[in-house]
Amino acid sequence: MTSAGRRSHYSPPWGNASIIGVAGSSGSGKTSLALAMVASLSLPWVVIMSMDSFYKPLTPEQSKAAFRNEFDFDSPEAIDFDLLVERLQDIKQGKVAEIPVYSFEKHARVEQTTTIYSPHVLILEGIFALHDPRVLDLLDLKIFAEADADLCLSRRQLADIIIPRGIENKVAISMVSAQIQKTLAHKSAQHQLELERLGNIAKDSPLSPNALILPQTNQIKGIHTLLMNPKTSSEDYMFYFDRMAALLVDKAVDLLPFTPKQVTTPQSYTYMGLTKSAEVSAVVVLRGGSAFETGLRRTIPDCRTGRILIQTNYRTGEPELHYRALPANIAQHGLILLLDPQMSSGGAALMAVRVLVDHGVPEDRIVFVTYLAGRVGVNRVLSVFPDVRVVVARMGDDMENRWVETRYLGC
Amino acid sequence: MSSESHPEAPSQSVGPEYQPATQKPKATVSTVIPQSNVTILPQTSQLIALLTMIRDKNTGRADFIFYSNRIIRLLVEEGLNHLPTVEHSITTPVGQTYSGVKFEGKICGVSIMRAGESMEEGLRNCCRSVRIGKILIQRDEETSKPKLYYDKLPEDIADRWVMLLDPMLATGGSALMAVDVLKSRGVPEDHILFLNLIASPEGAKNFAERFPKLRVVTAFVDQGLDEKNYIVPGLGDFGDRFYTM
Repeated sequence: MTSAGRRSHYSPPWGNASIIGVAGSSGSGKTSLALAMVASLSLPWVVIMSMDSFYKPLTPEQSKAAFRNEFDFDSPEAIDFDLLVERLQDIKQGKVAEIPVYSFEKHARVEQTTTIYSPHVLILEGIFALHDPRVLDLLDLKIFAEADADLCLSRRQLADIIIPRGIENKVAISMVSAQIQKTLAHKSAQHQLELERLGNIAKDSPLSPNALILPQTNQIKGIHTLLMNPKTSSEDYMFYFDRMAALLVDKAVDLLPFTPKQVTTPQSYTYMGLTKSAEVSAVVVLRGGSAFETGLRRTIPDCRTGRILIQTNYRTGEPELHYRALPANIAQHGLILLLDPQMSSGGAALMAVRVLVDHGVPEDRIVFVTYLAGRVGVNRVLSVFPDVRVVVARMGDDMENRWVETRYLGC
Repeated sequence: MSSESHPEAPSQSVGPEYQPATQKPKATVSTVIPQSNVTILPQTSQLIALLTMIRDKNTGRADFIFYSNRIIRLLVEEGLNHLPTVEHSITTPVGQTYSGVKFEGKICGVSIMRAGESMEEGLRNCCRSVRIGKILIQRDEETSKPKLYYDKLPEDIADRWVMLLDPMLATGGSALMAVDVLKSRGVPEDHILFLNLIASPEGAKNFAERFPKLRVVTAFVDQGLDEKNYIVPGLGDFGDRFYTM
C-alpha cells in the first residue's frame, strides 16, 4: 500500500512541547517553585522532570567515594548531559521518552525507567538546568530561583526571570503560571486549527476504501433499529449492543495476519488450514470504548487491553489526553483494535491513533472499531494515517453527540 | 466410499478483499455445491483458522468448546438473516429518521440430541429467551436405520420459525428424520432453518434436494465420507469432543 502521496500531516497538542528550565543552587527553593507552578495549574499535561534522574552511573572508585560522602554531586561533571539532551529532544518532538531512575542508596541507575509522554509543558528542574548550551537551546523559558546569598552569577545572567526567595514569592509564581497558561491556550488553539484544517481536506474526499462497513443485512438493520430507538429498554440496548460489538470485533479480527497450518483430525485425516500468526490486543478509548468490552471478550476472552482516556473539553471542543496504560510490548502485537463506539469529528480518534503510533505500533496494524461514524471524521483520521483501517457498523452524521455510550452506560 | 476416491478439496488464497492475492495464505476451503437452498458462510481467514482449531486432534476440550461456539455464533447470525422482517422507521436520539426493520415472527430452536445441544448456547447468545425443543434420534442396531426415541417440542411449533441444530451432517439420516418430525407437527418446510458446522457434500446435497424449501446454513462442506460414514477430514465425534472427552 503506497501512502506517501496522500498523507496529511497532524501535529498533536504535545507535538511541540514547551520546556521551562528552573535552576538555582541547593536550597534556593527551585523544587518548591516548580511544584507550586504545577499545583497552580493543576493539569495532567504539565510535568516536572528533575535533573537528579540524569546523574551518571558511577565508576567503582566514584561509588566508593560516594558512599564515604566524598563525591561531589554538585558538579556538572556528575550529570549525563548527552542523555538529558536526547530525552529533551524526544519530549520536544512529542515522542515517548524513557527517563532513567537514579538510586541514591545504591549510587547507580536502576533497571527500570519512568516514561514521560505527551506533556504540553515540561518543567526541567535542577542546579544545572541552565548550564549546558544544548539544553538552553531547547528551553522556551529560563527561570533562576535565587537563594539569599547566591553567587552563581554566570548562570543567573542566562535566565529570563529571576525569582528571589523561592516559594514565598507569590507574585512571581503567578506571573510564571500566567505565562504557562498562555502557552497552553496557544497550543490548544493551534490544535483546534489543525483539526479544522484536516476537516477541510476530509470534507471534499469520498469515503476512504480503508473504511470497512458491516454489510447492512436484515439482522444488522434490525439491531440498528433497536439501538437507535430511544424507546428500547436499557436491558435490550445492552444485549443488542454486545451482539453488535461481537460482530464488529469478528470483522476486525479478520484483518490479522494468518499463516498456513496443517492439522490432523482425530480420524487421522489431514486438513490444510490457517492459524493466526500474531496476537490481537485492544486499546479501549475511555470512557465510551468500555461499552465494547463484553463483545470483545466473547471473541477473545484473554485479550490484552490497554486503556486511554480522551475527553473532549466542553468549552473548546478540543479532545484532551488524560490517561494512558498500554501493554508493554504493544509494538510487537499483530493487530491492535482501538475501541470507541462513536467517531464524529474524528479528533479523539486521531489522537488515539497518534498515541499508538508514538508507542511504536505500525499504522497498518491499527484497526479503529466503532459503531457509528461520520464520513468527515473517518476521512480526517485516514488522511493522516492512510494505512489504518476503520471497521464501522453504520455511517451516520458527522456531528452527532455521543449518545451510543451514554445509552450503554446509563449516564 | 473410501477416502481415496474423493474429489480433490478446493484450495484457495484466503484473506480480506483489499489484500493482494500474493499476500493471502493458501488453505482448503469449503466445497461448493449447486443446491441454492444451501448457504455456506463466507470463507474468511478467521473462519478457516477457527475450523483449523476445532479439527486439530491436539486441541483440548476447553478450546474446542470456545472455538466451536464462535463458529456457532456466526452460523446463528447468518441463520437469523433468513428470517422475515418488516419495515420499521424510528426517530434516532439525534432526531433523525432511520428507516429500519423489525424482526417478524416467533422462532424456536430444536436440537438433535446430543451434539445439537452444544449449539443451544450460541443460539441463546443471539436470541435470549428462545424456546428450545429436543429430538433424540439413535441408530437402530438391528436395521442400522435412524430411529426416533424421544421428542419434546413447543406446543405452538407450527406457528414458529424453527432453527434446527446439528453440528455435523454426514449421511444426513437423523437430520432427515428430524425434519419429518417437524413437518408432522405442522411446521411448514420453508419455516425450517438447518444450522450446521460441517457437512459432507453427499449429505448436504441429499438433504437439500429432499427438502427444497428448507434452508441449510453451514460453515463448511467437506471432501466426503469414509467407509465408516465419518466426514473427511471432519473433526472426529463432535459430541464426544464437546461433552465427554
